[in-house]
Amino acid sequence: MITRYLTFLAVRAALRALGRVISVAAGVTLLVLAFPVTLAGGYAVTLAWFLGWPPRQLYRAALYCLPMLAAWLAALAAAGDSWAQLAAAPWTAWLDMWHDLAAGRYGLAAVTIAPAAIPLGLLAGGLAWSWRIYSLETGSGGLSPGAPATFDRRQWRHQVRTARARISAPGAVPLLRRDGSVVAGATIRTVRHRPRPLTAIPYPRLRSHQVVIGTTGTGKTTLLLRLWAGFIRRGMHVYGTDAGPRPLLVVIDCKGGADSRRIAERARRVLREAGAAATAIWPDEARLSLWALPPAQLISTLSDMIEHGTGGAAYYADVLEEVVRLAVTAPCGPPASAADFLARLDPDWLRLAYAASPDAAPAALLATRQVADVALRFRTLLRRLGDGLDGPGGFGDADAWYCILEGTAEITVAEVQARALVDLLAWYAASPGGPRREVLLAVDEFSAVSRRLPIWQLYERARSLGLAVQVSAQSWQGLAADEDERYRVASTADGGIWLLRTPYPEPVTALAGTRRVVDTTRRLLGVPLWAHEGLSRAEGTPVVDAELIRGLAVGQAAYIYRGGVSYVQVKRLVAGPAQLASAAVPATVPATVAGRQDVPSQPGPPPLADVSPLLDEAFGPEPG
Amino acid sequence: MTQRDTVGLLFTAEMYGVQLDLLAAGLGIREPAARATVTRWRQQGYADWAQLGPGGRWVWLTQAGLAACGLRYRAGAPALPRLAHLRAVTAVRLALEAAPGYAAAGGYWRSERRLRARMGSRVPLREHLPDGEVHWPDGTGADWAGECWAIEAELTRKTVSRTAAIMTEILTRTGDYGCPAAEVRVPGRPPRHTRVLYLCSPAARPVVLRARTALGAAMAARIEVRGLPPGAAGENPARPGQRTLA
Repeated sequence: MITRYLTFLAVRAALRALGRVISVAAGVTLLVLAFPVTLAGGYAVTLAWFLGWPPRQLYRAALYCLPMLAAWLAALAAAGDSWAQLAAAPWTAWLDMWHDLAAGRYGLAAVTIAPAAIPLGLLAGGLAWSWRIYSLETGSGGLSPGAPATFDRRQWRHQVRTARARISAPGAVPLLRRDGSVVAGATIRTVRHRPRPLTAIPYPRLRSHQVVIGTTGTGKTTLLLRLWAGFIRRGMHVYGTDAGPRPLLVVIDCKGGADSRRIAERARRVLREAGAAATAIWPDEARLSLWALPPAQLISTLSDMIEHGTGGAAYYADVLEEVVRLAVTAPCGPPASAADFLARLDPDWLRLAYAASPDAAPAALLATRQVADVALRFRTLLRRLGDGLDGPGGFGDADAWYCILEGTAEITVAEVQARALVDLLAWYAASPGGPRREVLLAVDEFSAVSRRLPIWQLYERARSLGLAVQVSAQSWQGLAADEDERYRVASTADGGIWLLRTPYPEPVTALAGTRRVVDTTRRLLGVPLWAHEGLSRAEGTPVVDAELIRGLAVGQAAYIYRGGVSYVQVKRLVAGPAQLASAAVPATVPATVAGRQDVPSQPGPPPLADVSPLLDEAFGPEPG
Repeated sequence: MTQRDTVGLLFTAEMYGVQLDLLAAGLGIREPAARATVTRWRQQGYADWAQLGPGGRWVWLTQAGLAACGLRYRAGAPALPRLAHLRAVTAVRLALEAAPGYAAAGGYWRSERRLRARMGSRVPLREHLPDGEVHWPDGTGADWAGECWAIEAELTRKTVSRTAAIMTEILTRTGDYGCPAAEVRVPGRPPRHTRVLYLCSPAARPVVLRARTALGAAMAARIEVRGLPPGAAGENPARPGQRTLA
């Protein structure tokens, strides 16, 4: 019995081995017989492996070869072949190829079989590559248990190399695609996003809220500059074709210092190339006028600028607000400058101003010493603020504003400035009858100055005004003051989240969600047969790999949007030359803002000679 | 070969080709006399002519004519799609050169053909060449002495963004045409063109004005916009008392 059983086992093993040998031999024979297809397929798989391509790329290449196939068949049809002959054309071409090879006509053999073999080879290569990826993703492929992880790491390296090569090719990465989408860079890899060679963000998404997180030196500024330039370029195009309002970019950089000024200068050059007529750098080169606010808003803003406590201090806050109201709504009109406002914080001035309407000014208040106290506080505050908010100027004077707040060195002043800037922008965006602009407000490290204006309030306010807000921070913690606010900001970023290298990406990767993968213990018997023993279970795996984020190199970013992610090698924008120097540049170029005030300084050319007499002689006088 | 012939040949060579009526206006002669002049040039092998479109015949120099002028341009009839534009530019040049202030200030027209020849095969795909430059020498007493102007004749509408981009490109250039790429825009150097003069058809004018506004005050101050002179669209450009090339 035992002998018979052992014989049975031996025979079964021998038959299995024989079957395997026959199947391998048949496979090899097939590969040899179809060697042009094998060659093309092998080349396609090698290329896809080397360049980190998805199988889709090979299918697309096969599709692009179809015109060649059609032309070949058309040529045969034109030569008089019947339909039956056309249907058998690949077969006859294959036979002819072998005959040519036997006769030593290698070139002719290649030309004969190429129209049929190349598309077929690409298709077969795509299928083989797809199977290879699938088998490694499911853990059923590879020689060692660690093969899937090694394969993934190697493919990432290949994909990065391909993306870097793509962005280094001149002209390969334009700023805008033909449909107006803003191209961020070359795609490294995508998960649940459509794989394309370039990652582009549709313009409407730039007009929604976005979040950018990345530590210093990871290419955050490069990415932001590209997005800003894309916003301006596309916005200008839309404006130029009368399809929308003129774009306005307002950047509030809350770090300050020399680094911010260097970035501001770079932004100016990049934005000029993108089509921004003027980029104002506040407060270094341009000013804004706080006094342009309507009286009611001005009272609120001025009152909020002064820090006051709660409880017993509430009385003082009320007194302060009342004094400010008296100064701002005086019968002679609102103040036009800081000096004008400070001059009004004087009991005698207020008494005189309200002499004609004493009922409007409470005499008891004017008699107190508190007016002088309020004046002292505002004098100190406005001196520390400098003249950046004292005008003249407004957001309408430039296409881009780069506002630098000294959030590191002068945090109290920066907080007040941030509050005032946001109020001014809100008023500018919401003022009825004012110029309609497509506004993108970009705030960097706003949490440093958000004590008086919580960032989620800024978010909500911007949302109600139709402004797009782009919040950037060096870390998750820098996004907002507390965890609740951070989640509020990140989860409402309907324009997507940009994640560069950061040590703690987990909260954001969790927001990206999970994707369903099947974990199975069933055994793979052979393509495409699986054994029935074992279990399969669908599990959720994170869409964004936090480890991958932690290991991103400089210039690499993950764009998370709608439960998918695109890893991008960001293309750096090469800024144009710095401002052209010209002799005798005047300090300011006068202009008007809404007919009331001068524009902030923008270096301009020297005054030009009047050539009208010559042009009138040559071309006749100008009409009007 | 008279002085008039020399001036006429050079003028024709610089403008790619001219229509007979504009050549006559430029030489200060009547059209039959211009026709006789061109017939003589043809007999000498210096020029050729043909009816390329509506209006008078177009005249251009042959390789022998260009060689006689010492110009290394490639000979050939003007391209059909460019005829209207070439006529407009020629009319602009004639109108400008006819102004007394032009001669008083010693203006010198540098044609697009000359600029293109200086660049040789290095004209980048997206590079825009002006339709001409006018150089004003120093020391003439004119307020604009020492300046270099770019001339643009606009017959058809482009988009505002494209027009603004061209304006920016012209006004920010620092290097001469044909200079090394590194010198095209060099920070710190004065711009090559002090101003750009746009001569626009009624259709193109609103777009040009809008593009100028979009550039901001500093650049807009360097852009002059005027209408195309009479004759740019085909009618006789000669005006009473007009100065001529010869």
